[in-house]
Amino acid sequence: MAIEPETQVEREFETQDLFVNIGPQHPATHGVFRMVLEVDGEVVRNLIPHIGYMHRGGEKLSEHMDYRQAIGYQDRTEYLSQFNAELCYVLAVEKLAGLVPPERAEYIRIILTELNRVSSHFMFLGAFGTDLGVFGTSFTYAFREREHILDLFEEVSGDRLMYAYFRPGGVAWDVPRDFKDRVRWVCKQALVGADDMDKLLTDNEIFIARTRNIGKLSIEDAIDYGVTGPMLRASGMKFDLRRDEPYSIYDRFDFDIPVGTNGDCYDRYLVRLQEIRESIRIVEQAVEQMPDEGPILPERMPRMLRPAAGEVYMRCEDPRGEYGVYIISKGATQPYRCRIRSPSFCNLSALKHMTVGHFVADAVTILGATDIVLCSVDR
Amino acid sequence: MSPEERRAPAQPAVVAPPEGSVADLFKAALPDVEMTAIQGALDVLLIVDGKDAHRVLETAKHHPALAFDFLRNLCGVDYEAEGFEVVYHLYSYKHRHNVTIRAKVPREDPRIQTASDIWRAADWHERECRDMFGIVFEGHPNLVPLLLPEDMLDHFPLRKDNPLAPLEEWQGEALGPEMGRAGHIPPGSGFDVEPSAEGE
Repeated sequence: MAIEPETQVEREFETQDLFVNIGPQHPATHGVFRMVLEVDGEVVRNLIPHIGYMHRGGEKLSEHMDYRQAIGYQDRTEYLSQFNAELCYVLAVEKLAGLVPPERAEYIRIILTELNRVSSHFMFLGAFGTDLGVFGTSFTYAFREREHILDLFEEVSGDRLMYAYFRPGGVAWDVPRDFKDRVRWVCKQALVGADDMDKLLTDNEIFIARTRNIGKLSIEDAIDYGVTGPMLRASGMKFDLRRDEPYSIYDRFDFDIPVGTNGDCYDRYLVRLQEIRESIRIVEQAVEQMPDEGPILPERMPRMLRPAAGEVYMRCEDPRGEYGVYIISKGATQPYRCRIRSPSFCNLSALKHMTVGHFVADAVTILGATDIVLCSVDR
Repeated sequence: MSPEERRAPAQPAVVAPPEGSVADLFKAALPDVEMTAIQGALDVLLIVDGKDAHRVLETAKHHPALAFDFLRNLCGVDYEAEGFEVVYHLYSYKHRHNVTIRAKVPREDPRIQTASDIWRAADWHERECRDMFGIVFEGHPNLVPLLLPEDMLDHFPLRKDNPLAPLEEWQGEALGPEMGRAGHIPPGSGFDVEPSAEGE
């Protein structure tokens, strides 16, 4: 809600605008992001975002690396939804190289990808609560469930965060023997955790007062700014790449797409909370359908990947929106150009539009509800 | 097949898009614009000249049969001798179709009209593209560095004549005779050594 001067005194006395600098080192910015707020009293009149503190030239590095070496870079780009980013990259390489992964590898990938979406959304729930002043409580509840999932990922890939487990054509090695039971247990725990967060935040009066009607974004504006993912769905657009442009084996599962109505921070929270449950539904179906035995890589795998000349823009539904990888191949072992379209980058570009007219405290809420990953913004 | 033949890069298979694809809609909407249509792995590619790009994009957004309301991605590509390209990946939520528009930009004078007046999403993408390739987007409201330091106005990291560091023989294939020699490598940084002939 924009604050307009109401009394005669407010209209006639000019106030002096003040610049408030937030970041680059500030807990509310979720990384190294700096924004300069031009405030009139408590009201934000202008917002100047500064990004690029984490720019590491990943696109340039990818041009100098073998196709498989760049997989690890996707983890470092999208460090809260690593499997989603890896999946997008390996699908792009598979499209170019004409590789078809075996069934079992497809299911392993989808299970891990969807669990990663759950862990990423738990991270959002925890951090968002902290942004709003639920200090520690939401964080510990959310991290309890996230730890279960990370433990599973560690057992599968050997690392808690930087997995580099997917390969063009499949996965690097087979999963542990009790994988299915572990996944079922993790799913059960995640649903309990989602219910706990639901009870903690959804009907909380302070939480609603801080988020409802804050940072509204209409469908038209969201599309115009290139906003995707839960932010777009919260504005009321029923669009999910898993459903509308199915990739991998997503056409085999039955799931709903949660949609908001208002396009405010509260709806973004609700959409993400519901997405946790829908992802668990997908994982449960995938565990049932997954074959117990079978290869995890195609029979004939070339030692050096040398895809034919061509280009592909592969896009996947990341927890934050559309993660795109644009690869141009000239037939060499390195890509000629590798471009990463990061959802956080595009969602963040709408921040000024959402924030202007709100209070300074709401700027933190809106940034938290945007759920950015700064490594992915700067790449 | 000899090893040399195996190592030779495969030739691109240029396939025209099928009848009734998005390319036909574009040709019907813009009969006087020269464009080459190719069927890509996922989308239809349209190659146009940089001077026509703004008209093509404006038509893509506002023509009722096209209605590309979502700019998925915008990036630059350096094709060395063939100049630069600015690539627009578009999607229409109304008709649920995709297209990729590749606009050619000459290397000597890399200028193209901005698309930020058509989609606001183009604003940041174009600033990033200027940072990385030095392509000037005419009419852009605020074309200042976004990801790079604000005083880094004459150094374009993603151009092909600007190498990462000297490549050594063991680092995969040689990327051409000039790689690892020219470019912005500060002296004394440890990277300004000649690549060893026999590899380490």
